[in-house]
Amino acid sequence: MLTIENVYKSFQGNMVLKDITLAIEGGSILGLAGPSGEGKSTLLRCIQGLENIDSGKIVCGGRIGFMFQDFQLFPHMSVLQNVVYAGKFQPRERRATLLRRAEELLERLGVWNLCDRYPDRLSGGQKQRVALARTLMLEPEVLLCDEPTSGLDMAATADVAELLRSICAKRTVVAIASHDMSFLTKVADRIVLLRHGTIAADIALDQFPNLPKLAVSFFEE
Amino acid sequence: MEITVKPIDAVIFVGTGLSISFRLLLGGLSVGLFLGLTLAILRHNGIGRRPIAHYVSLLRGTPVLLQLSLIYFAIPGILGVRLSVLSAGIITFGLNSSAYMSEIFRSGIEGLPRGQFEAAQTLGIPRFFIWKDIILPQVFTAILPALTGEVIALLKETALIATIGGADIMRKSQVLAAEQFTYFMPLCIAGFYYYFIVLFVESLSRRLERRLRRAHH
Repeated sequence: MLTIENVYKSFQGNMVLKDITLAIEGGSILGLAGPSGEGKSTLLRCIQGLENIDSGKIVCGGRIGFMFQDFQLFPHMSVLQNVVYAGKFQPRERRATLLRRAEELLERLGVWNLCDRYPDRLSGGQKQRVALARTLMLEPEVLLCDEPTSGLDMAATADVAELLRSICAKRTVVAIASHDMSFLTKVADRIVLLRHGTIAADIALDQFPNLPKLAVSFFEE
Repeated sequence: MEITVKPIDAVIFVGTGLSISFRLLLGGLSVGLFLGLTLAILRHNGIGRRPIAHYVSLLRGTPVLLQLSLIYFAIPGILGVRLSVLSAGIITFGLNSSAYMSEIFRSGIEGLPRGQFEAAQTLGIPRFFIWKDIILPQVFTAILPALTGEVIALLKETALIATIGGADIMRKSQVLAAEQFTYFMPLCIAGFYYYFIVLFVESLSRRLERRLRRAHH
């Protein structure tokens, strides 16, 4: 469960988020849509604590995992090192199963065969999966993804959608910021449209099968 | 007057200054690296930004010979302590080098994407380990060529120790020159010693760079 209440955030007097209020249930995927510069990434960064909010409240019911737009894998570490390194700082009982969990995750994401490679020898889609595995090693209750499909081709995008769906079968809260409406409509249960830093629309997708067309016309107004 | 010393003896005599030159280089390098890195990290974290900028500006903006004279002659007089030539040299060359090194480290740290710090932070890695295992290995690879340049500059600066009587390569060659009434051979020998050390440092750096790059691919 993730709740955001009356959150305001500005950068040097420029208000980026205005009175954002949202509640996301575990096991559901929220899509944050909107053109670039409308505050999607900032909202995710505020939830993660990478930015301080001006006012309001963010309550998060557990560990947060964050997937960066450009993955931010550590270039001097192999795939396996990238995935297990942060585990060294987890509680003892979780440290014991570190390698087994890493193997399971990388296997499930189809990149176990690349575990000795360094990030500069991976394709965009492979980097994406490694970054996802690294984040999932934290066993987050809340998973935040910032533009997870940027730079990926259609097939890789479809894979990401499927992967995120499968994670969400558990009780994880997933919030995805993306300007790719067709991707969001495939993966999300609910879409929040951000415009000028406020929530312009909050739509449950099962009630709105024609959302992609509507959203396009909304932004073209 | 005729030269009475054999070339091989001259080489050996000037070579007895190697010990002081190496001690100055390694001492100055240790102080410079440690202090330079500390200053760069403090500055990156917004601690003492202005005093550090003044420190760097002052040390880069005044001659090393002046700094050496201040530390060896002036400051002990004021504080009432006596410094050995070697200690004064290590302190001076170390402080001077730390100013250059802090700028080299700063450029390396600022050249890294901010996302690397943030990614490490979101993974719950403690601050010390973010620096030790994530940031500095990348910074070190990026700045190795600039760092090599600074080590070479430092080695050449150590020759200034001769001005306060340190028996390094330079001083030994001057002594030999004064005894033999000829400057050419002793100074050439000193020059070769410095140049061979520089070649060694360069080849070490190249090897290290190759190894680091190979390790990342």
